[in-house]
Amino acid sequence: MSFRKIDIDALEEDALGQDELDFQEIGELRPQHEVESQVNNRAQEVRSLLQRGNAAGALTTSLQDPPYGRNFGVAKARNTQTVMEVLNSIKVAEVPQLVKTLGPQEQDVLMKYLYAGMAAPEQNNSGVLLAWHEKLTEVAGQGCIVRVITDRRTV
Amino acid sequence: MSNQPIVNEFGLGPISCHAFNQDRSELAVCFNSNVVSIFRQSGGSWTLSSTLAEHDKPVTSIDWAPKSNRIVTCSQDRNAYVWTLDGQKQWKPTLVLLRINRAATFVRWSPEEDKFAVASGSRCISVCYFEEDNDWWVGKHIKKPIRSTVLSLDWHPNNVLLAAGCADMKARVFSAFIKGIDKKPAPTPWGEKLPFNTVCGEFSSGSGGWIHGVAFSPDGNSLAFTGHDSTITVVDQASGSVQTIRAPYLPYVSVLWLNESQIVAAGHDCAPHLFEKKGNEWSFSASLDSAVKKADVGTSARDTFRRMASRAQATATNDTEVHTHHQNTINSIRAFSGSRDHVEQFSTSGIDGKLVIWGTGLSRGMGNLHL
Repeated sequence: MSFRKIDIDALEEDALGQDELDFQEIGELRPQHEVESQVNNRAQEVRSLLQRGNAAGALTTSLQDPPYGRNFGVAKARNTQTVMEVLNSIKVAEVPQLVKTLGPQEQDVLMKYLYAGMAAPEQNNSGVLLAWHEKLTEVAGQGCIVRVITDRRTV
Repeated sequence: MSNQPIVNEFGLGPISCHAFNQDRSELAVCFNSNVVSIFRQSGGSWTLSSTLAEHDKPVTSIDWAPKSNRIVTCSQDRNAYVWTLDGQKQWKPTLVLLRINRAATFVRWSPEEDKFAVASGSRCISVCYFEEDNDWWVGKHIKKPIRSTVLSLDWHPNNVLLAAGCADMKARVFSAFIKGIDKKPAPTPWGEKLPFNTVCGEFSSGSGGWIHGVAFSPDGNSLAFTGHDSTITVVDQASGSVQTIRAPYLPYVSVLWLNESQIVAAGHDCAPHLFEKKGNEWSFSASLDSAVKKADVGTSARDTFRRMASRAQATATNDTEVHTHHQNTINSIRAFSGSRDHVEQFSTSGIDGKLVIWGTGLSRGMGNLHL
């Protein structure tokens, strides 16, 4: 008997559900259009920073205030794309130095985007992402990877 | 006191929990089964002196009251027993009425040893005390606002406040005041009026993860907790500061304060790690396991796979040895010698079936650690 698949909370009226957990971890969700316009503005800002050759600024900007919440699929995809553009435009030799300048929270967010990027290998260059992953893990350790797994605020 | 950790190997399977008696001559251990083994120290080794077999599911936690020499055990069978020595030096169990419908996960005696608290999967904590009239241990439930399994507990030195780490990603401080047993406690930063089940604080690390371990500081004014997100959070209730350290290592399971400015945490990284307070800032200081040889961080997953592919290998030939005394997850740290505000030695037990006693070097008068 596959007892491990039994939903032991099925008869529990007051079970801790996904909605409640999301609310606890993410809080009140902002309106969809607001989040999407924020993400689009950021994409423009990041692009102009990249054109001016400010890779470090583009990276930190792209990692700010990511859209969290289950119903922001479009905004999340757009933001992931923005981060990927930044990661692809930075030379591999510069990566270790850049990763060190990030704060611990930014490192955690970057790791989330690395995994989000690797989840779509047809769109993103996994080689680049793996190079970033290697350098980031050297600095932020396995703890950073563990936090990607535990955090309910997915990107 | 030697600086070298003392490793005790039993070879009887993973250790799920352990507790020492007051003079550390006896040890209660559970090897991931429904029985608790009591060992007595004789000539540097441990010999089995008795077994406590009353539970019928794996025992999850043991605590040994130092002054009153009573053992409390709890188990997945939803029961807790208080064990006392009778005239023939035999341990006799007394059932506790926990009134829970899921496994009991953690148990600790209060500092005065007149109460104990049992955490459980039925989203409550049963605070148990002895009712003279009925000659029975009864439990009173702390329910709100716990939303999931409670995984760990720690008592405040005032015998009233109780910290709980929970699988709903929150650490909370409750009042476990029992009328008729406790006297009105002196005011602490956690509050003044403390009727039963008062929530004195609710904290989270911010990046999710079950809270595996909680511990009050020696004076009880601060709380440290660790979660499955590899963080340690220190709450200083007196100043209101909450600091979260994002550790670069695998998650910690258990925490212990050595003194007001040092915390040890251990877990999935198989070694106890020291965190120190410098000024007002807490930070990671060192691993206390000198045998630790840092894993070769230069090899990325990519390199490994490339090397494997070039040799048509199915498994990596990397060094897979664990360079620590513990060879698997440490699931419990407990003070071994010294006082609450000046722990000199502590013990750790883990899934590798070892029980290791570590010196902190503090008995030498300085906070310098001999690594």
